[in-house]
Amino acid sequence: MLKKQSWLVLVIVMVLVLSACSSNNNNAANNTTTPAPAPEQEKAPAVEKEPAAENVELRMAWWGSQVRHDRTLQAIEKFEEKNPNIKIVAEYSGFDGYFDKLSTQIAAGNAPDLVQMGGNIKEYVDRNAILALDPYIGTTLNVDKFSDSLIKEATFDNQYYGVTIGVSGFGLLVNETMFEKAGVPLPTVDWTYEDLKSIANQVSEKLGKGFYGSYDLSGNKSSLGDYLASEGKQIYTKGGLGFTKEDMIEWFNMWSELRASGGIVPAEVQVANDPTAADKSLVAKGQVAMQYASASQIYGFQTLTEDKLGLYTSPKGSKGTGMIPPVSGQFMTVYSKSAHPEEAAMFIDFMVNDPDAAAILGNDRGVPPSSEMRDVLAGQSTPVDKVLYDFISLSTEVASNFDYEIVPFDNEFTKLLQLTSEQIGFGQLKVEVAVDQFMTEADKIVKKK
Amino acid sequence: MNQKYKTYLVGYGFLLPWLIGLFGLYLGPIVASFYLSFTSYDLFNPPKWIGADNYVNMFRDDYRLKDSIIVTFKYVFFSVPLRLAFALFLAILLNQKLRFLGMYRTIYYIPSLLGGSVAISILWKQVFDKTGLFNQGLSFLGIEGPSWISDPAYAIFSLVGLSVWQFGAVMIIFLAGLKQVPTELYEAATVDGAGAIRKFIRITLPLLTPVIFFNLVITLIQSFQTFTKAFIISNGSGGPINSTLLYSLYLYIKGFSFLEMGYASAMAWILLFIIAIFTGLLFLTSRYWVYYSDGGR
Repeated sequence: MLKKQSWLVLVIVMVLVLSACSSNNNNAANNTTTPAPAPEQEKAPAVEKEPAAENVELRMAWWGSQVRHDRTLQAIEKFEEKNPNIKIVAEYSGFDGYFDKLSTQIAAGNAPDLVQMGGNIKEYVDRNAILALDPYIGTTLNVDKFSDSLIKEATFDNQYYGVTIGVSGFGLLVNETMFEKAGVPLPTVDWTYEDLKSIANQVSEKLGKGFYGSYDLSGNKSSLGDYLASEGKQIYTKGGLGFTKEDMIEWFNMWSELRASGGIVPAEVQVANDPTAADKSLVAKGQVAMQYASASQIYGFQTLTEDKLGLYTSPKGSKGTGMIPPVSGQFMTVYSKSAHPEEAAMFIDFMVNDPDAAAILGNDRGVPPSSEMRDVLAGQSTPVDKVLYDFISLSTEVASNFDYEIVPFDNEFTKLLQLTSEQIGFGQLKVEVAVDQFMTEADKIVKKK
Repeated sequence: MNQKYKTYLVGYGFLLPWLIGLFGLYLGPIVASFYLSFTSYDLFNPPKWIGADNYVNMFRDDYRLKDSIIVTFKYVFFSVPLRLAFALFLAILLNQKLRFLGMYRTIYYIPSLLGGSVAISILWKQVFDKTGLFNQGLSFLGIEGPSWISDPAYAIFSLVGLSVWQFGAVMIIFLAGLKQVPTELYEAATVDGAGAIRKFIRITLPLLTPVIFFNLVITLIQSFQTFTKAFIISNGSGGPINSTLLYSLYLYIKGFSFLEMGYASAMAWILLFIIAIFTGLLFLTSRYWVYYSDGGR
């Protein structure tokens, strides 16, 4: 027989085996959170209470970088101070997986009361997931200091669904220090795609091995959108694709040339260092000089580096920059099944109209939508704030004027574009072949349902 | 009779927690997913019946599915044999009289405890990145390693590596099997002049075949369903160029990112079908190579 010690070891081992076996089987849909620095907090059920004096608990979800999480949590604390009967449980995360999780919560009927939305707000309105805020406008929630276009953006069927919490745009995020070191002049507002090519090549050359002028933007849908629009075309228009095979071949050829000349990162570096996350981007690490980003992301990026970062408009084509004018970067919405819409509306009002909140939140989600709050902040701007403001003003000026149509099945289209970019980048397919496949599949996607 | 009845009762009693889980948590969703596989369902609107369209589209229209199946098969056919081989090798090593044997066993078991987790996948990603620890080690040997996780030629092998690293549970079972081999057989063989290798091939392996069979089936089934590693290491994309698009990951993307739940359900049932075929094959061929010393089946 085994000695007592061995029995003990055996029993412990068996317990571990059993627990390990079970943990292996249930991994399927549970691990959808990303390796973002922000941990999730436990969800607590909303307490059912009617009169405002009773204790109310709201849940709020948003995405962002650590800077945004810290600031928003601070703002929540401030709100709770002013409204001691309302408690807000925060459920925040990085952008990856945010909407997957939200869709699941909505399907299960228990999404948070306050939900940050992006440009895809219409998708959720169409699915009856968001509450119309009209009953609260003017009383609990004030948007009279907002410009009309911001309100229009979230108005569907004459009902207002989302309060803009930051005005932002997209553009090139540039590491100016790298340009200085390379002795290459910075882009100007009139630069063209030819300029972009030569600048990227120059920076790479001057800085040597391991440094690159730019990320590969060929797989970036917004970047493609700007390029097409700069020639007067669109990704999606009038029920079908707004561009031709030749357009795509030119687009991918441009980036293939840059890859061959070393002006942009090679394919495997691109894949391993996702530029959309501040903590993974090589621009924040001083190794790549340009990438595409949402303008308000500059805060998250700048806190991670001593290098000076700047925001620049997209290169000009024959019809201008092709850029969309700055729009609501994000909206704050109320879940259609929230038990406490009144209190939720109160919080939104606090977020966009209270000077304390404005001071705390700053420009991290973009420029404040309320002109009054912008004045409040004018006094305390930091250099990074100024960069953002200047960029927003500039891009408003040079934006192209056209009726931009939202691409249906955006998610699928984006994935397809990225796949095609990778196939070309890794040399798996020649540009013409890859584009053929791309056109066929893209056509299928936009013509679905 | 009464005694037999009591035995059954005790048996079911012990099974009860698991049975409750099965009926309460698994059975309902399984039936629902079968129904959903014949519908088009985007989570927000009620499911719309479309008959066998999902299944037809899977085979006719889906260019990514083909890649995904190839990648999954590659993954399974590399990782399962390698994992079993490693586990067996270590089980044999750890079956000897060594000091601190218990400690060694624990150490070799730890990876499989941690392995299924998100944290380890993230770490693995760092270690095997172009500038990660593994390549730093290789550079001491003068080799410049590629990016093991973001080069489409190698990415799938980083997943295989992670799977093989978690051989612990399989190893423990092999150990148990090894312990059951009667030592008299080895002694008799030594007397007859057999060397270590012959002893292994003629005694150990044949007597281990039931355990090998068990581990093979379990590991194969698990392997086909792998999700977490692929999701974390590829950042949810199955890239680059679908080289890490394991079947479950693609199912997840179809269901939760593209909101095609009906299609994803159909994919799930096809996966079940594939796994069933392989398991069935294993069982059918088992009579030719699995030797049960007590004559059982």
